[in-house]
Amino acid sequence: MLMLPLYVPLLVTATLACLGYLLAKQRAIALSGGDIRSLAALPHQYGLNTLLAITVPSLAVLLGGALAGGGSMLGWIVIGVATLCLIGSLAQISHDYRARTHAESWIKLLLIGASVIAILTTVGIVFSMLFETRNFFTQYSWQDFFFSAEWSPNFRGDSALGILPLLWGTLYISFIALVFAVPTGMFAAIYLSEYASPRMRSIAKPAIEILAGIPTIVYGLFALITVGPFLRDYFASPMGFGDSASSVMTAGLVMGIMLIPFVSSLSDDIINAVPQAMRDGSLGLGATKSETIRQVVLPAALPGVVGAILLAASRAIGETMIVVLGAGAAARLSLNPFEAMTTVTVKIVSQLTGDTDFASPETLVAFALGLTLFVITLGLNVLALTIVRKYREQYE
Amino acid sequence: MKDTNMQNPKISAKGVQVYYGDNQAIKDVNVEIADKTVTAFIGPSGCGKSTFLRCLNRMNDTIDICRVTGEILIDGEDIYDAKVDPVQLRAKVGMVFQKPNPFPKSIYDNVAYGPKIHGLARNKAELDEIVEKSLRKAALWNEAKDRLDKPGTGLSGGQQQRLCIARAIATAPEILLMDEPCSALDPIATAQVEELIDELRQSYSVVIVTHSMQQAARVSQKTAFFHLGSLVEYDDTDKIFTNPQDPRTESYISGRIG
Amino acid sequence: MTHKSLLTTDARTKRRNASEARFKAYGLGAIVVAMLALAVLLTSVIGTGASAFKQTYATVSIPLPEAKLDKSGVRDLDVMKKVTTIGYASILQAGMVAAVEGAGLQTDMKAKDIGKMLSKEASATVRNYVLANPEVVGTEVTFDLLINGRIDGYFKGRVTMESAALDSNTSPEELKLAQQLADAGIVQTKFNWAFLTAPDASDQRPEAAGLGVAILGSLYMMIVVLVLALPIGVAASIYLEEFAPKNRWTDVIEVNISNLAAVPSIVYGILGLAIFINFMELNQSSPLVGGLVLTLMTLPTIIISTRASLKSIPPSIRDAALGVGASKMQSVFHHVLPLAAPGILTGTIIGLAQALGETAPLLLIGMVAFVREYPAAYTPDAGLFGEASTALPVQVFNWTQRADPGFVERASGAIITLLIFLLIMNAIAIFLRRKFERRW
Repeated sequence: MLMLPLYVPLLVTATLACLGYLLAKQRAIALSGGDIRSLAALPHQYGLNTLLAITVPSLAVLLGGALAGGGSMLGWIVIGVATLCLIGSLAQISHDYRARTHAESWIKLLLIGASVIAILTTVGIVFSMLFETRNFFTQYSWQDFFFSAEWSPNFRGDSALGILPLLWGTLYISFIALVFAVPTGMFAAIYLSEYASPRMRSIAKPAIEILAGIPTIVYGLFALITVGPFLRDYFASPMGFGDSASSVMTAGLVMGIMLIPFVSSLSDDIINAVPQAMRDGSLGLGATKSETIRQVVLPAALPGVVGAILLAASRAIGETMIVVLGAGAAARLSLNPFEAMTTVTVKIVSQLTGDTDFASPETLVAFALGLTLFVITLGLNVLALTIVRKYREQYE
Repeated sequence: MKDTNMQNPKISAKGVQVYYGDNQAIKDVNVEIADKTVTAFIGPSGCGKSTFLRCLNRMNDTIDICRVTGEILIDGEDIYDAKVDPVQLRAKVGMVFQKPNPFPKSIYDNVAYGPKIHGLARNKAELDEIVEKSLRKAALWNEAKDRLDKPGTGLSGGQQQRLCIARAIATAPEILLMDEPCSALDPIATAQVEELIDELRQSYSVVIVTHSMQQAARVSQKTAFFHLGSLVEYDDTDKIFTNPQDPRTESYISGRIG
Repeated sequence: MTHKSLLTTDARTKRRNASEARFKAYGLGAIVVAMLALAVLLTSVIGTGASAFKQTYATVSIPLPEAKLDKSGVRDLDVMKKVTTIGYASILQAGMVAAVEGAGLQTDMKAKDIGKMLSKEASATVRNYVLANPEVVGTEVTFDLLINGRIDGYFKGRVTMESAALDSNTSPEELKLAQQLADAGIVQTKFNWAFLTAPDASDQRPEAAGLGVAILGSLYMMIVVLVLALPIGVAASIYLEEFAPKNRWTDVIEVNISNLAAVPSIVYGILGLAIFINFMELNQSSPLVGGLVLTLMTLPTIIISTRASLKSIPPSIRDAALGVGASKMQSVFHHVLPLAAPGILTGTIIGLAQALGETAPLLLIGMVAFVREYPAAYTPDAGLFGEASTALPVQVFNWTQRADPGFVERASGAIITLLIFLLIMNAIAIFLRRKFERRW
């Protein structure tokens, strides 16, 4: 049978739904014999019920079918379902048919469907990566992937695809980013909430928020054209650390800047959650503000702060554009922060945008990298969110 | 106002005005508070008694929009003088708050916090001694001595408040300010704290804000009645409760305003 | 007890106050660092990119001889199309040489090199014009033609006489002549509308590269995201906030949503590649796939902000509706939702702004390809939003990978454009929040 383009069943369903609305409404009015109070629901609610009774099942079939791989019959099946639903729904209309309640059940079904998409996304993420990762491990040994310190993909096959140098680069860059962002972000948050004048706050707070709204590609370009050459010309070259503009330091510093607003807004929430009574207690004993913050507020906020740092770490590990443009592409296990290194995300991009055959281990390794990245960040997120939630509950 | 005729007052306030932004919270208060006495501030909610109390150790400094004029002398020195460091002042004028607010630290660390920041102990033994002495004075030693390393937040409400009192005593203050210290406590805990306040009178000048007239009558020797930001009447506690001079005091005492 | 005067500060308090001042200075330092970082970032990007909005053109009169351009003599388009851009280049060269002589300028440069002062794109411009207007053949037409990237760079201060001496693509003589032409009014720098409308250009002609395709692609994707993410996000939020029973199942959804919000964006790219392209076989590089990926990525943001605005509507509103006999569904759709609408809209715009700046997932679904054709919103072959396209942030990335230094300016200029769009979106969000903000 002729395969229909996707929009045909959609259009047919929409037309049937509108038709159903009008027919059902008319039928209800006709049944009422002029006195709509004799009906169990308002006429337009009959219409709405029929409309939903057609669209919801058809859409469900269409989506389900499309996700299950389509098939040439799908379009016709959808049209069939829509027609059947139209007839069935019209047949049900009677004096005491509670059209509103039924319509509302359909709506509720739609709402539930929408929230299930969140679950489906996660399932999709996990399965899309699991599937290809399994393919990868049939062609490449998992011990070599996880424990080999060499990464040198080769177009002609016979590549070494060890994750360790990539993980090292990822962690090293994230570490530098956090070393820069955590103290800066926290001190900024502390200063803004405890010391700054309202005027200063009204300038500095939005400025820091602007940093949060800047896309990562902008930071990447900043690393590439400004920070990288600057670090090379003024630090790395004169001090004999090498002469690469892309380096762990470049990517780490720029990522640190990106994380400042993230850390500072999280710390701000957390510091403000510590009750004022606690501060008063300390100030009332003659402690200075800084003693109060260091010895009372921060210890009280510690779990929250730890959670915030973990969330920031998860962000740093998953960040892509800054490292693609700032860190370099050479997989390397080195301690020199002015040397170019590479990360898991960089390699995901380069392996999946390259020209290699999709079924080759050189491409499939990207899925194994992606899954590793997903598992690491998921672990950090779950841990962080649990800690932060526990912390919030403590002061509620 | 009647002259209280006091020799060497511990605290003496002259013409104190307090503003929150444009609102005047305290209007021209003059009062002299004696050493080794419990002085109670009473009055309806929002009368300014807590605000005035917080002026005595400059806790109002922590509120941006608050402005204090006039003179408050402690031992003859103006505490609002530019040379006075509020940090030093607050070591001398301790404060206990409405709701028990122990730090999320151990009982020991709660009490040791003040002495540590002010450098009152030269070594661990001295610090231990200060902690024990303070806890004893706060009548908490027997209950707490076996659990000094347990968090202070694990104590009952009354115990927490006595811990806060011990914490305040530990910095060796000369004046203790108490802002409705019993309002969050049950009657039994309240009785214990009141008993404690009476003992504290031996060593300190205690100023207590309370919304309970019975409490003022039970624990204080002097009582000041505040109304709408003004000090209406200040006299011996017996006199205030038996023979008030001002009609507003009388209405409050008899329950007609408040 | 010894009596210490309050009026003298003891040594220990002095030390403590000094440490207080230090602590405060650290805080101030952190703020300064953050603000400085912002300032340096913006000046560096704007400084290198602002010049992309200006472009150097030569206003030259070009004779269009029939003998060369139309061998048929009857304006047969098929014959005329046989003349390639290389054929046109010689005509342009003649025009340029004539312009130099017409201005009375002396130069040692060869005619071939004078012709090369024009961009490689210029011959295509003239060719397209002639093919669109065959009647002009045989006449002389005045064109505004792109000057090559190096000379353009010279007028923008990027290329100097010293650097030109070392560069095989230009020479100091060329720049000198360009300067004389500029003095004569033949070469001018004008606002570069083409930067916003023209498609990308190949590696050798940064002066012709524009953002037209990228802006269109981003626009299509934003339409997809808006049409899908807003209704789905609002529906999911309504269910979770108003109807969902508090049980294990909804707990799972909740935890899941907050985790999805923190999943690295590149993971969504892998999802899009595996599901939408490999499995569902949608077109690679298409705004449809890009939009779907960004929708999934934006959903958690929209759900979180929508739930917050639903939560801020006091229960008394719901009770009032239920009290007059409305169903739960009616109370939500007639009362709660309209009141929460401004908050939902604000959250959606912020989500869209995030999606607009996102790059990494789009790289994986092939949007980094070189696209010169404006994508159509719909074609029977490719379907809705199915034609290959790029997007603004990806175009930036693409240009950073090119060898010619002229592309650095283009990339920064593209960023300025992107930031302006983001600024507008955020300004609208802030305006909505201010205008409709309500305290209960």
